[in-house]
Amino acid sequence: MKLVIENVKKRFDKKEVLKGIDFEFEKGKIYGLLGRNGAGKTTLFNCLNEVLEVDEGSFYLVEDKQKRPMEDEDIGYVLSTPNVPEFLTGREFLKFFIDINEEHITNLKSIDEYFELMKISEEDRDKLLKDYSHGMKNKMQMLVNIIMSPKVLLLDEPLTSFDVVVAEEMKNLLRSIKKDHIIIFSTHIMELALDLCDEIVVLNKGVLKPIEPDRKSEKAFKEKIMASLMEE
Amino acid sequence: MLHSFVLSFRLRNAYRVNSILYSLKQIPLVKKILPDRLYQSKALKILGNIISILLEIVNIFLGKILYLWLMIYAFLTLYPTNPANTFLHLIFFLTIAGALMNTYMFNPTKDKYYAMILMRMDARWYTVSNYLYSMLKTIIGFLPFTLLFGFLIGMPLWISVLLPFFIAFTKSIVSCYNLAVYQNKKQVINENNPPKSYWIVVGICLLCAYGLPALHITITPLVFGILFLFFALCGIYAWVKIWYFPYYFSIYRFLLANHSIILSASEQKNKVTQETTHKYIQFDARFTSNKKGFAFFHDLFVKRHRKILTLAIKKQSIVILLLFLGALVLLLINKDIHGEINGLLLTYLPYFVFIMYLLNRGTTVTQAMFMNCDHSMLTYRIYRTPRVILGIFRERLKTLISLNLIPAFILGSALTILLYVTGGTDNLFNYLVLFVSIPAMSVFFSVHYLVMYYLLQPYNVQTEMKSSTYSLVQGLTYFVCYFMIDLHLPTFYFGIATCIFCILYSLISLFLVYHLAPKTFKLRL
Repeated sequence: MKLVIENVKKRFDKKEVLKGIDFEFEKGKIYGLLGRNGAGKTTLFNCLNEVLEVDEGSFYLVEDKQKRPMEDEDIGYVLSTPNVPEFLTGREFLKFFIDINEEHITNLKSIDEYFELMKISEEDRDKLLKDYSHGMKNKMQMLVNIIMSPKVLLLDEPLTSFDVVVAEEMKNLLRSIKKDHIIIFSTHIMELALDLCDEIVVLNKGVLKPIEPDRKSEKAFKEKIMASLMEE
Repeated sequence: MLHSFVLSFRLRNAYRVNSILYSLKQIPLVKKILPDRLYQSKALKILGNIISILLEIVNIFLGKILYLWLMIYAFLTLYPTNPANTFLHLIFFLTIAGALMNTYMFNPTKDKYYAMILMRMDARWYTVSNYLYSMLKTIIGFLPFTLLFGFLIGMPLWISVLLPFFIAFTKSIVSCYNLAVYQNKKQVINENNPPKSYWIVVGICLLCAYGLPALHITITPLVFGILFLFFALCGIYAWVKIWYFPYYFSIYRFLLANHSIILSASEQKNKVTQETTHKYIQFDARFTSNKKGFAFFHDLFVKRHRKILTLAIKKQSIVILLLFLGALVLLLINKDIHGEINGLLLTYLPYFVFIMYLLNRGTTVTQAMFMNCDHSMLTYRIYRTPRVILGIFRERLKTLISLNLIPAFILGSALTILLYVTGGTDNLFNYLVLFVSIPAMSVFFSVHYLVMYYLLQPYNVQTEMKSSTYSLVQGLTYFVCYFMIDLHLPTFYFGIATCIFCILYSLISLFLVYHLAPKTFKLRL
């Protein structure tokens, strides 16, 4: 399975943020999307998530050599700021999501098993989400996307609100699910990208560019990424 | 000191000019003409400066004339006492109340935050110089109008001249007292949140100001003269204390710690709306739901928002019922008014469009739907699928219609019974039309608000309302309903027209929602 982006362009007023993105993302890999502030990472995600309409170009999935447009169920988006309905408890939130997506969920587990997966303690499961901490809300957001198991998972700085232990757990979780997904992980932290991701892609001047890993040393690879980020 | 003042004045002016340019950029047509780099444009900066100066002049004079006119001069005719003495009396007590509530010095504002906290300007010189400027503005701003009103009511000239100084001295005394409170008790008084004792003094002052003249008691020029001398001496002492006070930075570090002061007015309003809406959520473990899917989700929303949904409807229904019973008792006691009320019921149905508009809480409910639910849920792609959007829309519509129908049926029945009690009507259909048209209006408003919300989804990711079309529709709804107040039409015809309109409107708008909402109901970026 591949996610193919062809010549995607997006402008706001006179500013062209995406100047023709061409890229192929493959299943089984975590892609680290790096870019400087304002480079257009979130814009690219919003276009793929169809919150924003692209001005030109297209994107689609290729499965068994067949092209098809992305369906709503194919994409999950985890934002850096957690978004959960505050009037529900954690358990009710999961129940609602499972209820409305039953036909798309394979290997359905019990709600408590999902909580276990995310290490959310029993006493927190029946609390209103508005009383959850920032990190816990983020866990819930991540969990819902993992239950839905979308083919393409977009992650926008999802680990920054976690403490080091939870962040490590989340990294392991992502590694364990990557074989069935295309995961695109946007971050500012190069070390995190290098640690977690299989491929590094840099978004600079509105263009997406893969950075070939430098087999000789990590330092040289980092320098290559930096050079690409700073390219004028 | 002068250097501090000039620096702070330039700083304040710079961001005021930028705020003016920003505001200009928000006007729909103007924003297309203005260049993107408007903050670099010299011509626009000059325009901004001119507007800024005009605003400063308005700020100096306009508030003062309005205050003297609306709070004092307008009241003079109400009292039997001498107008000049009453004017003096009112201004004396209102000045004391005003000085407690409006010190300038203890008002946490953005300009103070920028200057003293961010730019680290010398707190003492900044405060003293700006305080002197604010007192000068007080004196200059009041003087022309105390002279004008004094002339109009025949007040002695010396009083008109002294009054602005009296106001400035009183303000300084209060500021000095607040500084002393800090020095002795380490308690910082915030003028936007004054202590209870201040409220009590303000209450007493208001009572003395507006109450005593009704009892023929006012301050006389002689008493004012003596009091002025006392206030002037205390004021001068206060000025010496203000000048040498050493702990301004400590006070402002505390007073300006609340970061909400650096939010813009719209950001503050948005923050307040968000907090208020979040408070609508009430959790009670007894209220769960046995439903599934959309029905489960929506059922919990209704149960956790009882305050604005079921409880609000219950209150409305009780009030309508009580008013109806009151009207019924009145009609049974006083039979003379039957004919008149009967006539009103047969021609005043349009008035009830406005009443139903007021009863419907569509805006509050859709706002809570967005803030507490859709704002987060719309970030999930699956929530934006047509199946989910329309499924939840159906549940919401059912609830809103059925809840709003309760008070509508009570009102419809009440009006029908009142029509019968006041003598009835020859055309029996009038009963039916009156009974049905009120619930029809209720259905219309329920559909209208929800459909507008789904078709125009006016909020952005930051939960700010960003759709001018939505505001326009809201405004139009209000004006049309308000216009109905003056419309007197036979209930029979107007009622039938209302019912037909409501059915057609509901059908068309539901058709539009089913076809367009999956595209329109999304977060604005």
